[in-house]
Amino acid sequence: MTMDSDAPEISKTPPANAATYFDGASSRRRAVTLHFADRLEISDHEQTLAVWDYADIRRADSPSGMLRLGCPTVSALARLEVRDGALASELVSRCARLDENTPGRRGVAVIVGWSLAAAVSIVAVVLFGLPLIADRLAVLVPEAFERRLGDVADSQIKTMFDAKACDDPAGQRAFVKLVTAIRESAGLDTSVQSGVLSSPIPNAFALPGGRVYLFNGLLAKADNADEIAGVLAHELGHLKHRDSMRGLIRDGSTSFLIGLLFGDITGSSALIFGSRTLVTSSHSREAETNADGFAIDVMHRLGRPAKPTGELLLRVTGKEGKGLSIISTHPLSEDRLARMSREDRSASGPPLLTSEEWRSLKSICDGKSDPAKKSDPAKI
Amino acid sequence: MNQMSWPPQVPPPPPMPVPPPMPVAFSGSRGEFFDLAKRGAALELVTLGFYRFWLLTDIRRHLWSNTLIDGDAAEYTGRGKELLIGFLVALAILVPVYLGYFLIGLEAEHYQAFASIPLVAFFYLFGQFAIFRARRYRMTRTVWRGVRFWMTGSGWIYALQASLWGLLMILTLGMILPWRAAALERYKMRHSHYGDLQGSFEGRGWEFFKRGWWLWLLTPIAIYISPIAPFLYAGYKAIEWRWWLSGLRFGGVRLESSLPKSALIGLYWKVIGWMALLGLVFAVYLALCAGLVASMSGEGLTEFFKTPELMRSIPLLVLVGLGYLVMALAMNVVMRVYLTRDLWVTVLGSVNIIGIEAAANVAARGDLANALGEGFADGLDVGGF
Repeated sequence: MTMDSDAPEISKTPPANAATYFDGASSRRRAVTLHFADRLEISDHEQTLAVWDYADIRRADSPSGMLRLGCPTVSALARLEVRDGALASELVSRCARLDENTPGRRGVAVIVGWSLAAAVSIVAVVLFGLPLIADRLAVLVPEAFERRLGDVADSQIKTMFDAKACDDPAGQRAFVKLVTAIRESAGLDTSVQSGVLSSPIPNAFALPGGRVYLFNGLLAKADNADEIAGVLAHELGHLKHRDSMRGLIRDGSTSFLIGLLFGDITGSSALIFGSRTLVTSSHSREAETNADGFAIDVMHRLGRPAKPTGELLLRVTGKEGKGLSIISTHPLSEDRLARMSREDRSASGPPLLTSEEWRSLKSICDGKSDPAKKSDPAKI
Repeated sequence: MNQMSWPPQVPPPPPMPVPPPMPVAFSGSRGEFFDLAKRGAALELVTLGFYRFWLLTDIRRHLWSNTLIDGDAAEYTGRGKELLIGFLVALAILVPVYLGYFLIGLEAEHYQAFASIPLVAFFYLFGQFAIFRARRYRMTRTVWRGVRFWMTGSGWIYALQASLWGLLMILTLGMILPWRAAALERYKMRHSHYGDLQGSFEGRGWEFFKRGWWLWLLTPIAIYISPIAPFLYAGYKAIEWRWWLSGLRFGGVRLESSLPKSALIGLYWKVIGWMALLGLVFAVYLALCAGLVASMSGEGLTEFFKTPELMRSIPLLVLVGLGYLVMALAMNVVMRVYLTRDLWVTVLGSVNIIGIEAAANVAARGDLANALGEGFADGLDVGGF
């Protein structure tokens, strides 16, 4: 061991092998000496405090400049602390399995590998699994539960938009006539509830449990009954396909899984929101396209043109530019109009409402002050 | 070399580990911590956040093992795997709870719109439970001189107390905060132990209030003049740290802190400065990306910016998303270096310990607690060290 012959002659072993020992049973600090026999002997003067197998000794966390050892097989918390460099390297050379419990490169690779596997499976479930599950589950959800959900959404929406149901009798009669014609043609039963709400926002929506609402703002922008009929048929299409229930199951679980995936990276909420928007809006566009197809069919069955609805949409949203955004929830109004024009047939059936009825429908909300001055784009 | 060339006349004193004069010291280097945070952030990016359990563990191991009290370094014996398991168990419990929350909320909304909002209170309760249990986990993984800290007490009783105090907080517009902190800390410390030394907390709400009452007056002003907010917050944290540390007791061991009110202001402003810088870098990056994508699309630059195409280009969205993620992680590194490591060192430097002899021969006691609380805390996003 000694290479330096000039080194002063110090008493043989004891001070050089000095270390500090905590026995794990009390916090007493003991100055100990180490003896390297076939096992490591830790002794305080003549009394042997512990005997550790070299193979069982493990490294414990320590501040820089100190080697700290433990022997989990003997005592979970007993610690041997060595500050002397030479003694520390002697110990390290004898304890072959010193770093066995430290993860090291290999452990990190395992963590990375499994994390990626988990990420891939979560993404796969979000993209392919959840739509399937939602499709299957949505039909299994009892009507009563769905109606209850609808009630909740109903009261929330009425509170949020401060909207009241319009009930001008003549207008209401015209509305019921229009809805009934579409509903029968769409093959939905009488459980469908519908109404006009007084809100300047040009929009219409379907709620779970068979409710369809039309905002007065959309009526104000419409030029004839066919335009509104197409919109209502579109919403009934959502009901028929149970899109809101499906959307609820799918979006709820998507948010949950994506949130799980990104976890705790500070500021990742924007990212979570972003990726969720991407995923859910692509499903939403698909549902909208299907509902449009449904509306076109219904209008054809009624012998009425589908094109006016597309024109109304474009009037409400304005030109949306080219190219489809992957974050839009709806297809472009231009494309929707183009499709409705392409599949359009000239009117073969009688008008859905007389011009008298159309006028009373337009004024169903009692001719309140011009409701559609400035408004958000429609989400129909 | 010098020592060796002079043969000593008397036998030299044995190279005993000489306890440093400071009762508390920190031996870790800043560079080492920075490397740890950098590497952790990179791994977090690669593992989409799953590495957080191991990073948190590594940070604690570094801080604990470099903290020397009366010359002996502490040790953190928790492991990332335990946190992962705690998280998974918490998940298994939280998923049905969330579902139940959804269904009960549905019933409540059925009677009255937005009636489900008070149910949020339930999650507050749960969050407080998580805070208590996470503390218990951390304590039982803290070892000093071969003896571990441990905790008794009930997470639910704590959560109930914390929630009732929380209610009072709302009613008194936050004035009650010092007394709330004192009461909750008393509960936590009364149930904390080091071996057979029982902890206690002697901080009084009144002392906290006396040192920080002006903060309450200035807070409404800070809402209008935001540049003074960091000063206020840093002042508040400094007062809170000092008050909290000075109230800690373990048997006959008393802590004392002399942290000045202004001690943390620099740290918070450094973080704000870095945030601004990173934000600027991100903005430049965004502009570069937009320019690059525009030139790739072959259209004129101005024309490209005029159309809504800009917002719809998928390569641009991917570039922005990636840049955002890198920026978020860089901010994480900044926060960890300043608000975890530097704050730890600053606060530690202010601590004095009286009667440390009482901890010289303490018998080991107590069992390990599981990491469920940490899992809940992670799942519910309630903080902790």
